Amino acid sequence: MRGRSASPYLFLAFPVAILTVFTVGPTLLGLALGFFDWSGSGPARFVGLGNYRSLVHDSRFWPALRNTLVFVLLSVPPSVLAGFLLATIVQARWFVGRTLVRTALFLPTVVSIIAVGVVWRWLLDSAGGLLPRAIVGVGFERSPDFLQGGPIASWLPWLSWPMVSLIVIQVWRTAGYCMVLYLAALSGVNESLYEAAEVDGATRVGVLRNVTWPEVAPMTAFLMVTGVIGGLQVFDIVWAMTSATETDSTVTLNLYIFREFQQSRLGYSAAIGGVLFALTLVTTMLQLRVMRRNAA
Amino acid sequence: MSSRAPSIVTRLAAHALVYAVAASMLLPFLWMVSTALKTDLQALPREAAGESVTFLPPGWPWEWRWGNFADAARAVSLWDFYQNSLVAAALTTLVAGVHNALAGFALAKFRFRGQRAVFWLVMSTMMLPVQVSFIFAYIAAGRLGMVDNIQALVVPFAVSGFGIYSMKQAIATVPDSLLEAGRLDGMSDLELFWHVVRPIAWPTIAALGIFTFVASWNSFFWPLVVVDSVHSKTLPLAVAELSAGRYVQSWPVRMAAMTILTLPLIVVFVIFQRAFVRGVAMAAVKE
Repeated sequence: MRGRSASPYLFLAFPVAILTVFTVGPTLLGLALGFFDWSGSGPARFVGLGNYRSLVHDSRFWPALRNTLVFVLLSVPPSVLAGFLLATIVQARWFVGRTLVRTALFLPTVVSIIAVGVVWRWLLDSAGGLLPRAIVGVGFERSPDFLQGGPIASWLPWLSWPMVSLIVIQVWRTAGYCMVLYLAALSGVNESLYEAAEVDGATRVGVLRNVTWPEVAPMTAFLMVTGVIGGLQVFDIVWAMTSATETDSTVTLNLYIFREFQQSRLGYSAAIGGVLFALTLVTTMLQLRVMRRNAA
Repeated sequence: MSSRAPSIVTRLAAHALVYAVAASMLLPFLWMVSTALKTDLQALPREAAGESVTFLPPGWPWEWRWGNFADAARAVSLWDFYQNSLVAAALTTLVAGVHNALAGFALAKFRFRGQRAVFWLVMSTMMLPVQVSFIFAYIAAGRLGMVDNIQALVVPFAVSGFGIYSMKQAIATVPDSLLEAGRLDGMSDLELFWHVVRPIAWPTIAALGIFTFVASWNSFFWPLVVVDSVHSKTLPLAVAELSAGRYVQSWPVRMAAMTILTLPLIVVFVIFQRAFVRGVAMAAVKE
């Protein structure tokens, strides 16, 4: 409708106001705040790059950054790959119980991780959790401390047992979501491609790798990028599993941001937010580049 | 997908694998519910109860203690938290449903000055992390009198970039000729929205609504920032404290509370799962 009317302005006034007041405005101010020292009341003091310079020497920041990156790198690719493989099986004509499986696998996406986290914590808790007991029960001398332990091996100082637990739970939680999205993508693949590959004598694995996988590449890119962005901002699950026993081996960027906020070190909190913002931006730009290449 | 069906062994192995994964998704929930029905002693590992260690499976409740649910509801003012979560999620869904759709309509079917700017504003909000914006969003909410109340959980989510974008994509498929015909019949833009756009875009509106409801129901970070007092706490906040043993010590009673929190959402999901899954998939495939 190209007629002149006030309607679009009326329809958009409230949405634009909300997005401006609660998202765009606060983001710009938040990025600016990273260059100030402020406790939330009284005047803010401009410190330039002071906060960022402090970050470099902050013994808490580096573990938080490292843990966040480890979490992203070790949780996103496995859940995307698991989702792909599950989808290729579930989508096959001979598969029985598709709806049931889809419901079960999607459940962790829907249910509050705060509630499910309690069950996981009970499973993993060193004082009476099922898994540590099972490990001792089958004859091991002692079980790793899944929620508070140190590095899993002396040559892997950057990977602690609690991080492994968080990563496993994240994969558990997101694999079904990836599967459901791959199912949607697979239903759009042209059957004749498979038939052509078969005529050419391709093996099952060959079809999977050379036909299916390339066909769903846009979905893979989407899941990877949204997974990385979500992983960079991870909070709920970390809070649910480790807020009671927080250490340097479990702290993530987002948790550190929140802790600094609670301590009324708002400028510092915002500066860490700036780092998170930069990481998100880089990911988004990579996404745009990948999408453009796919479109070409 | 392949016209050659694989051998029976392969098929069986594939089923076993997928069912095992599906079971792993269900077990924590089953365990939660079964523990919620146990006595304190039953819920403890047997070793602590003076017997040898038997750890798996989590075990069937021998005598079903439905009383745990009553205990949970009594110990934790669950009903209040429930009400807060329900009101916040329902209001958010309703308000966001209307405004996302209207904004999507404006962007999809009108030409107006500043359109590109608005579109990019909407798009940009999809990639702005809340961890950067929450400090001033909190301050803004405070200035508007929205701290520690239900409005604070609703108004900031009254629209979303993702919602507006999805609605714009859906409404773009409404044929212009239908809108022109409505125009000739003398419909106002709002009437066009209600009588022409809404019915056609309904699947997207519904899917987005379910999506919004679940996101609001489960939201944790923002409520943690903006809610202080007991009277406006939502269920996830209460559950986080509950799990830390703030209200009750008994594990079965805690699990009963978790069950009360999650079960309604599971039921809603199972009922609406088609729409839900389609909504999620639709949003991604369009990307």
